[in-house]
Amino acid sequence: MSCLSNPDLLVVGAGPAGLYAAIEAASAGLTTVIVDEGISAGGQLVKQTHKFFGNEDFFASVRGFDIARRLLKELSNMDHVHNLQESSVIGVYEDGIPVLHLPSDTTRLLQPERVIVATGASEKFLQFDNNDLPGVYGAGAVQTLMNQFGVMPGRNVLMVGSGNIGLIVSYQLIQAGVNVKAIVEIADRIGGYEVHANKAMRMGIPIMLRHTVIKAIGTESVEGAVICEVDENFRPVASTSQELAVDTICIAIGLNPSIELIAQAGGEVKYIPELGGYVPVRDDNMRSTAEAFFVAGDVSGIEEATTAMIEGRVAGLTVVKDLKGNTDLKKLESLKRELVAFRNGPTSARIREGLRKLGIVSSSKEHQYGNPNNPEKYMGKMRPVIECYEAIPCNPCETSCPTGAITVGENINDVPVIDYEKCNGCGICMTECPGLAVFMLRELPEEESALIGIPYELIPLPEKGEKVHLLGREGETLSDGVVQRVFKSPNKTHGVYVKAPAEIAGEVRGVSPVSKTDNTYVCRCEELTVQDVEKAINDGYTDFEELRRRLRISMGPCGGRTCRLNTLGMLSRKTGRPIEEFAPGVLRPPSIPATFRSIAGQEGAKDE
Amino acid sequence: MSRLAQHPVIEFVRGKKISFEFEGRKLGAFEGETVAAALHAEGIRYLRSSPGRQRAQGFFCAIGKCSSCLMEVDGMPNVRTCITLVRDGMVVRRQKGKGELLE
Amino acid sequence: MNKSASVVIVGGGIVGTAIAYYLTQKGMKDVVVLEKSYISSGATGRCAGGIRQQWSESSNVRLAMRSVRHFENFKKDLGADIEYIQGGYLLLAFDDEEEALFGKNVAMQRGEGLDVSILRKHEIQYRFPYILLDDVKLASFCPTDGHANPHLANFAYARAARENGARIYTRTRALGIDVTNGRIAGVETDRGHIQTGVVVNASGGFSHEVGHMAGVDIPTESFRHQIMVTEPVEHILDPMIISFSRNFYIRQTFSGNIMMGQGDEDDKPSFNHDPSWRFLTEMARKMPQLFPFLKNIRVLRHWAGLYNMSPDAQPIIDKAEKVSDYYCAVGFSGHGFMLAPAVGEGLADWIIHGEPQEVDLSNLGLDRFTGEVVRERNVV
Repeated sequence: MSCLSNPDLLVVGAGPAGLYAAIEAASAGLTTVIVDEGISAGGQLVKQTHKFFGNEDFFASVRGFDIARRLLKELSNMDHVHNLQESSVIGVYEDGIPVLHLPSDTTRLLQPERVIVATGASEKFLQFDNNDLPGVYGAGAVQTLMNQFGVMPGRNVLMVGSGNIGLIVSYQLIQAGVNVKAIVEIADRIGGYEVHANKAMRMGIPIMLRHTVIKAIGTESVEGAVICEVDENFRPVASTSQELAVDTICIAIGLNPSIELIAQAGGEVKYIPELGGYVPVRDDNMRSTAEAFFVAGDVSGIEEATTAMIEGRVAGLTVVKDLKGNTDLKKLESLKRELVAFRNGPTSARIREGLRKLGIVSSSKEHQYGNPNNPEKYMGKMRPVIECYEAIPCNPCETSCPTGAITVGENINDVPVIDYEKCNGCGICMTECPGLAVFMLRELPEEESALIGIPYELIPLPEKGEKVHLLGREGETLSDGVVQRVFKSPNKTHGVYVKAPAEIAGEVRGVSPVSKTDNTYVCRCEELTVQDVEKAINDGYTDFEELRRRLRISMGPCGGRTCRLNTLGMLSRKTGRPIEEFAPGVLRPPSIPATFRSIAGQEGAKDE
Repeated sequence: MSRLAQHPVIEFVRGKKISFEFEGRKLGAFEGETVAAALHAEGIRYLRSSPGRQRAQGFFCAIGKCSSCLMEVDGMPNVRTCITLVRDGMVVRRQKGKGELLE
Repeated sequence: MNKSASVVIVGGGIVGTAIAYYLTQKGMKDVVVLEKSYISSGATGRCAGGIRQQWSESSNVRLAMRSVRHFENFKKDLGADIEYIQGGYLLLAFDDEEEALFGKNVAMQRGEGLDVSILRKHEIQYRFPYILLDDVKLASFCPTDGHANPHLANFAYARAARENGARIYTRTRALGIDVTNGRIAGVETDRGHIQTGVVVNASGGFSHEVGHMAGVDIPTESFRHQIMVTEPVEHILDPMIISFSRNFYIRQTFSGNIMMGQGDEDDKPSFNHDPSWRFLTEMARKMPQLFPFLKNIRVLRHWAGLYNMSPDAQPIIDKAEKVSDYYCAVGFSGHGFMLAPAVGEGLADWIIHGEPQEVDLSNLGLDRFTGEVVRERNVV
């Protein structure tokens, strides 16, 4: 079929960015092929059980897997779209782009007019003793197991990293009934959003700042972990080490953009740590320096699904303009403004700095802090208490409020302000807030107590009349209480109302059932340890390309995804030269090993 | 067994019950699961013995990128079990070393 | 960077660093190597690493045999393990013409003192049972042929040369060669000027251009050649196996990857070293027919490098006539790695003593292309 071999557009990756890119292109009539490695489309969305921040136009307050479903439904109603699942692009060649279909072990050569690379990112690997033991898992792997296949990753988990992914996955582990012993964070502050951290902490998960993991214990599987404090240079202080009894160590120290295809296409890549490592150089229409290739989503810089979706749309609309001569410019411009607005808050400062290095200016106007609550006057009225003090790009509280009592305003990064006069105490904002940062409160002065509504996403859902522990912001048990009311929400963030003594009413932020129970590798393919790499550097292999060839780093089956950045980091530390000065090395095809059979037996091979 | 029976947010729609063989043992699985996920649900995390230092390794990324889950599946070495779906009657072996091409 | 040097070698591949090693080993001071990229970035780091003595031209056989003696002593002489394996080279003949050629070649090679023999089909089958021999007529086999890791060999020469006092400047590009009255005055680089009276062109794929810098016309052209490797598997292949008529070579590396390649026959001269999908599909269709075990194995990576071809597919090792003390060691036509030790030794002697001494480089001059050209036939 010629439109399959020679489509207008090839979209690589069916995550949030790719799906939206395809929707924009296909709805403008472009023949579009989507190639995706997953068993089903949706990318990381499929594993995301939390509700999204952002605004209503961009699925705020909708859970990731539901977003994937909606986008796929939209695509399935379109003509000209071919979706190739369980398929991998092997590489970008001068004579075409071969795609490997894994189940049938066949390949097919595509010659598209334009390519949107929305390949996302892969997990960064961390160096510590025995880090190759089974049970040391990337955060994405833990999400896949638990949220896609419904398999418990372990019983007791140590989370390494307190960025949004580490915090969200910790919370999801608790939802799956797994015990999270601790989150260790090497920095002196929590990396992710405050609301995500609060969610984890009120589950009783300690977040240990200035701590890292130095050893996994076990022979055939993780049986424990040794953690310790770090000094001001992030070096472990051995005297502070302690052992944790865990069977799983979850690595959530960040993601590494999957730039292989752009590099193979001849697109320039640049090291920009604010965006996650090496990223493609691109313009604000998402076009790389290789004319026919675009990028969108995490591959263009690690951010979040909402911006990935907008970037996908921008790329899709620009491809339409390339091939049809015109596009919906109004929509394109408004999406670009939308991106700037999302990145306008203090939590996006790093992203803005990274984009600036790429020559893409995002507004640097600082956000305006709102004045969240001033409840004095409304004591005794059922009303929300919004513990959202950090400016993040999000406004479902505003858009879900049936009485218009909550205002975030023009800049989506502002914090909400409540007009208690208009509020009717319905509690919808509590169930909509993606950060679970809205609580309900009504003082009961005659009883010297208060009614508190808590957003709740665990099972079993407590029942009315059930006795529960009342938990503070760090998961500490403050007192016991009785469930007064359960507000079941279709989006599965339910409201549990409990009665608590008046003096702790401002502290209760969680409930739990009363019966609640409770060798350092750099490169796995070649089995190279930190010592191996350091020795080679000491031997004078200080050119990354020579080091690579000396050690076969990045020549194994993983293609360097595990080791490349870590090796560059070691080289940078040892030589005192910034990573930017080293070339990332060639990212040779195939991007995924392919059998002889698949390459030889091509589907839809063109008749010569 | 460590499959989640229920979850506060997600409803798991599992495929047909099937069985496969691992190191001579018969194990159950559901259609639509990857080999690695099915093994993990049975408590098996040790998937291969590394070629160089004979170390126990399991998966890390679960998306077919990191290559630490290579196993021998139906006689074929170096299969990425984290992205390969389990099939009824499949014979899975813990891979020792780099993988044998000739019997 | 040095302001002056006795000798400036352009090119930090196996040939350039071998020359630097032998020059410094023989007492020469102030040797500078210029490498525009990094050590082993060019053809050396991209080649298959085969070390073969079975050639159709006797001068090549002698040069290769001398190189093999150096490879055999490499660990002792340079203190480096370069994964050198003498598993032999098995050359497969598929038709009558090749059968006749192999017979003639083996007689000549034995005359040069090489341990080489013809293997009949059943002998091949017995010794190498994993080859599907349907169309194979016979083979020639030399057990002292073999292969090594080109990166490690290149690094070892560079390291030893540095220890002997040579200066190797990587990420440094030669921009021009100053020639005054037929004499070399210096080399201009992107990091400054180096005064020198002697230049060696060991620039592999760019030999014609580096010749042009001094006004020396070197009749070489570069062609893209591609190679692929599989995922590492347990050891199965001892020899390197090649065929001229079927246009392939295959071997297994020390780390277990099976490496193979072919010549792209209709490629035009260019500096393109991007790999193509066509190469991969041709190999994937062709190779499992002879090596059925490949059906169960995956392609891990492939890449391309440049063959610097001379008109007769033999190296050009010479001193220029028009410009004094301009030497070249170029045009290796895909066989520079295996010939580098002998060439390095011979050229070092030539520079120091005025003649190559024990190494016979007599048939490899720049002036040999005027009459009828006798092409080396044993080339993939």
